[in-house]
Amino acid sequence: MTKSRREIIGIKSVSKIYNLGDTIVKALDNVSLSINENDYISIMGPSGSGKSTLMNIIGCLDVPTKGTYKFNNEKISDMNDNQLANIRNEKIGFVFQTFNLLPKLNSIQNVEVPLVYSSLGRAERSLKAKKALKIVGLEDRMSHKPNELSGGQRQRVAIARALVNEPSIILADEPTGNLDSKSGTEILNFFDSLHKAGNTLIIVTHEDSVAKRAKRRIEIFDGKITLDE
Amino acid sequence: MNRIINYLIDVIRGVLFYFSQTKLRTALTLLGITVGVSSIIAIMTVLATFEKTTDQIVSDVRTNVFYITRENPIEVSFGDNNKWARNKPKITWNEYEQLKRSLKLIENMSAVVSEEPSDRTFSVGKKEFKSRIQSFWAADGDILSLYKYDIIDGRNIQEVDINNRSRVAIVGSDIKKELFPFKNPVGETIKIDNIPFEIIALTEEKGELAGQSMDSMVGIPISTYLKYFGGNWRRADLQLVLESESIENIDDATDEAIGVFRAIRKIPPGDPNNFYIATNDQLMDTFGEFTGYLKTFVGLITGISLLVAGIGIANIMLVSLNERIKEIGIRKALGARRSDIFLQFLIEAILISLLGGIIGIFIGLSFGNVVALFLEQSPVIPIDWVFYSLQICASMGIIFGLYPAIKASKLNPIDSMRFD
Repeated sequence: MTKSRREIIGIKSVSKIYNLGDTIVKALDNVSLSINENDYISIMGPSGSGKSTLMNIIGCLDVPTKGTYKFNNEKISDMNDNQLANIRNEKIGFVFQTFNLLPKLNSIQNVEVPLVYSSLGRAERSLKAKKALKIVGLEDRMSHKPNELSGGQRQRVAIARALVNEPSIILADEPTGNLDSKSGTEILNFFDSLHKAGNTLIIVTHEDSVAKRAKRRIEIFDGKITLDE
Repeated sequence: MNRIINYLIDVIRGVLFYFSQTKLRTALTLLGITVGVSSIIAIMTVLATFEKTTDQIVSDVRTNVFYITRENPIEVSFGDNNKWARNKPKITWNEYEQLKRSLKLIENMSAVVSEEPSDRTFSVGKKEFKSRIQSFWAADGDILSLYKYDIIDGRNIQEVDINNRSRVAIVGSDIKKELFPFKNPVGETIKIDNIPFEIIALTEEKGELAGQSMDSMVGIPISTYLKYFGGNWRRADLQLVLESESIENIDDATDEAIGVFRAIRKIPPGDPNNFYIATNDQLMDTFGEFTGYLKTFVGLITGISLLVAGIGIANIMLVSLNERIKEIGIRKALGARRSDIFLQFLIEAILISLLGGIIGIFIGLSFGNVVALFLEQSPVIPIDWVFYSLQICASMGIIFGLYPAIKASKLNPIDSMRFD
């Protein structure tokens, strides 16, 4: 079953090294990882383990110092800023712990932000954004600003924003970290349903209950993958 | 192309939205530019009004008329130039008569001394003309046709008046209105500085030019003037008014006049004229020169104020950049390219300065046209300066928005998103 699915992310011997003057920090040390279509993965590790660095590299927010990273068979490790921006825009849906919504924009405007940087017309953008908000069940909160929404609703707006470009992967960094347990469970249920609908999900977390939802668990410590099952 | 326009509309909408969220700050930033641009536009409007007014004045005096004077009447002279002008000899009656005898291309010619306005008192009985007489002149009879005044009652100054130094006067309709409201002034007596003159003519009403009455006018024979008022020679400097046969031969006529006048004064070839000859064109040129200085001066001042305003823009853009580091990080994470962020900031700066400029243009036009209203001119829009101002504003936006825009575009998304 695993073999029949297409590989989306191929990380080979990737290292990320920070040179802080007299000390050299290996945030990632020779990591290899393959992620396939419709995978549901949790990445766990204590703070400082390198999981944020790994997430930044997977999310094309950062490039590795060594090694190669292929995304849909495109070599990310060689790309420039603009190419990375295009990949983030079209292929990756981000969900952040602190939601990272733009406070002055309402829900639909927030969901439209990634579309602004693609080449869609206004009408099409608003249509897509409405559709995405409907998927997360917020069609009645379209003109609310983030401060008029609950934490769970904000995270749902953020998920709608992540879904709006129909990305290849959804990358969530501690998506329930700022939520109460009820809203957290709601969000995780929603992730489950996204997985069932065929989406590829990567959830970075340090909570076991969150990690248990995923079908594949990766643990990272001191810049190395210590568990992948 | 459509895509680019669509994209620009998005950016502009975004920026306008941002302005609406930070109204006070945007308004204060606009203020600097508005002040600079409104002052430039106001002054250019006033100058355009002046130009229009002088056009009218000059064209009101016949265009085949030219003048010989001691110095340029409207030139603003500085330093040495001025000293030189003071050393020029006055134009004498004798020179005038020689010139009048020798010139062939001149149809009409007159020598005139004028006080514009005059500080003398003009009275009838115990009744004094309240305001200052705008034009008190002394000449021979030919001046009336040169100045385009028509006599409606009475007679012109004649040679006998010149020869006898008669105390006779021609008056404009303002004098009749104020001093002879119920009778014909012709034949009556008017006292100029308490010297009685017989009024021999009343001229037809001419109305106002540039806010000044053309009818607040009294004229007497030039010989009489020199006899009774000539003690004040600084004022009694002759001006010659000459009229060529037609507009076409005005150049030949001026050349002839210059040649003959140089011969009369025995100026050696190669030496400069020690008199000033002015055609209407030259008057306009001199005025143009004057306004040119003024424009340069205004340009300099506004340049400085716009520079200050521009630094204000750069400052406000840097402040807004610091406030929006997180926003920029989020936008970059969601796929904004460097150029997107760069354009967003640059267009923001351009829009601020253009908006300030447009408001400034409206304020400047209003102020400038208040002056036009006082000069009784129809409203003027210095359209060229409106365009220059917009250009200046746009370039200011680009220049002072550039550094903040580059700085914003280079932000790293990971660090920026964490920024609070």
